[in-house]
Amino acid sequence: MKSVPTLSRGGDISVQGTNDDAQISKLSCAKLGYYRDDFLKYFVRRSSRRSPLINRGYFARVLALRQLLQQFFDVISQETVAGEEQNIVQILSLGAGFDTTFFNVEAKDRKKARWFEVDFKEVTQRKAAIIAANAPLHEELGPGAKESIHPGEGRIQTEALTVLPADLRDVKGVEAALLAAGFNPQLPTYVLAECVLVYMEAEESASVVRWLGSFLSTAACIVYEQIKPGDAFGRQMLTNLECRGCPLRGLQATPDLKAHQDRFLSNGWQRADAKDMTTIYRAYLDPAEKRRAERLEIFDEFEEWHMIQDHYCIVYAVNDASGHLRDFGFKQKTPVAGPVPFPRAD
Amino acid sequence: MSDLDRWIEQLKRCEPLAEKDVKVLCEKALEVLVEESNVQRVDAPVTICGDIHGQFFDLMELFKVGGDCPQTNYLFMGDFVDRGFYSVETFLLLLALKVRYPDRITLIRGNHESRQITQVYGFYDECLRKYGSVNVWRCCTDIFDYLSLSALIDNRIFCVHGGLSPAVSTLDQIRMIDRKQEVPHDGAMCDLLWSDPEDIEGWGLSPRGAGYLFGGDVCTNFNHTNKIELICRAHQLVTEGYKWMFNEQLVTVWSAPNYCYRCGNVAAILELDEHLNKSFMVFEAAPQDVRGVPAKKAAPDYFL
Repeated sequence: MKSVPTLSRGGDISVQGTNDDAQISKLSCAKLGYYRDDFLKYFVRRSSRRSPLINRGYFARVLALRQLLQQFFDVISQETVAGEEQNIVQILSLGAGFDTTFFNVEAKDRKKARWFEVDFKEVTQRKAAIIAANAPLHEELGPGAKESIHPGEGRIQTEALTVLPADLRDVKGVEAALLAAGFNPQLPTYVLAECVLVYMEAEESASVVRWLGSFLSTAACIVYEQIKPGDAFGRQMLTNLECRGCPLRGLQATPDLKAHQDRFLSNGWQRADAKDMTTIYRAYLDPAEKRRAERLEIFDEFEEWHMIQDHYCIVYAVNDASGHLRDFGFKQKTPVAGPVPFPRAD
Repeated sequence: MSDLDRWIEQLKRCEPLAEKDVKVLCEKALEVLVEESNVQRVDAPVTICGDIHGQFFDLMELFKVGGDCPQTNYLFMGDFVDRGFYSVETFLLLLALKVRYPDRITLIRGNHESRQITQVYGFYDECLRKYGSVNVWRCCTDIFDYLSLSALIDNRIFCVHGGLSPAVSTLDQIRMIDRKQEVPHDGAMCDLLWSDPEDIEGWGLSPRGAGYLFGGDVCTNFNHTNKIELICRAHQLVTEGYKWMFNEQLVTVWSAPNYCYRCGNVAAILELDEHLNKSFMVFEAAPQDVRGVPAKKAAPDYFL
């Protein structure tokens, strides 16, 4: 996404550009029917159709992350008395960019959660301005929410959604801003860092992980980002992203799944697991959804598909003082046998 | 200097031809290609190349490694277009060479030489961007229909883009196909362009949704029936540039280095001398400064 906390201003802009790029790709998927997202279009100025490989990869990422978030809502709800489900959890999205998850969550789940998003001020200013300018967006924040959107400050403060400008390098500053906005570290919290930490220097991302581990007593933290910088594909990926002005500064410190787990386990988290996206795609996505998506476009990029998916992973870590999150984790789905024919033009 | 030689010089500088010149070139190419067999006979020595995919500057590297046409006799096994930034220049250069030196270069059809596939994977958009209309795309895709489906080198080595078909057991059956059409969605012609070898027995369904997977036993039977020693094909990215399978009864050759400017792989071509002795020439992508990636398309896509 967009948060590149460690870069110079010029670099910041390139990294913020990765937010725009991700949103264009996510909109490309939505338009082709990979998943539904009626809100993305407000955040993309010029849409563009991506290649089937990019579409399928974003589909896999969005579906995997939606499944994990849904699971979080479900395990917390099981432990809650019916009728007392208002604001029982928090979502904290780091380097959220123009992410639309808040808008896409079902109403019954959204009222269970208070939602906090943090990103650089340049990004939150643009996000606040877009939400303020589009009724279908600010109407989702509740009646009269428009008064609580401050594009100039890059800030939104409503009961449902809080957007804050902050720099992840300064975890004390982020903590203070969150607490001032009413964030409650005792509530079960779902933390999302989607292509964010990898842009930071290793010691900076480790300090984010360490801060979260001590700040939140009942939490699941989900990371989606690149791995495997050492092989030919990985070296090319490093070069290409560096040319783009957004080097993956943290990648050498978390080159594989074990390093990702260890980053959490050695920084105050009780358990952690990590899987590459090839594995997630094969066994952990809803088979019916996968089957449906695989029929949407001709797909002739198999060798490359496996390569690129091998170079991305999802990591989750859990701290569970309350015991609510015993059952939270990757859940294998039954695989469907057989390939799926691609759609015919006729 | 003839028009044709001028066009070749122009294309070698990676400058696309004017639309009117493309039309003339395609008319001439049609006259040559229409005479070719579905199993085009080729004499060794010959240098066999796999997928190029519009990576023009890497094709220039290939010619540096393999020698210029017509000094070197070439066989390209399809997938000239899509994915890379220069499908127009790449295909037109190969086509111009074909018209100029018809006995020194053989072009056979890949699964991307198709109207349907090029609309998804880039060639259509590139034509529209470079010419402001789809006329050049139409000319080129009409020519695709005339490209041969396979080649047979000295009656010993069978070359095809993808692989085998359960509908085909003899080369004569391939010769009977009416190839002058868009690549069909199934059947022998489709399979030749889409199938892949796999370590299985017999036939399997392809995850690509077209063509089949075929095992070593299928390959052995085909080679035995048709008295050939080797199937040479392309179609699949192999990161070392070439890959033997089935006890050296089949080889995959891949000629697009750093495929899509993203995969970091090397590429290869296969040189056969007059006795069919084989030597693989492995090469890397053209250096970034030579390649001149267009500014607008600054970098290949990732999940960001």
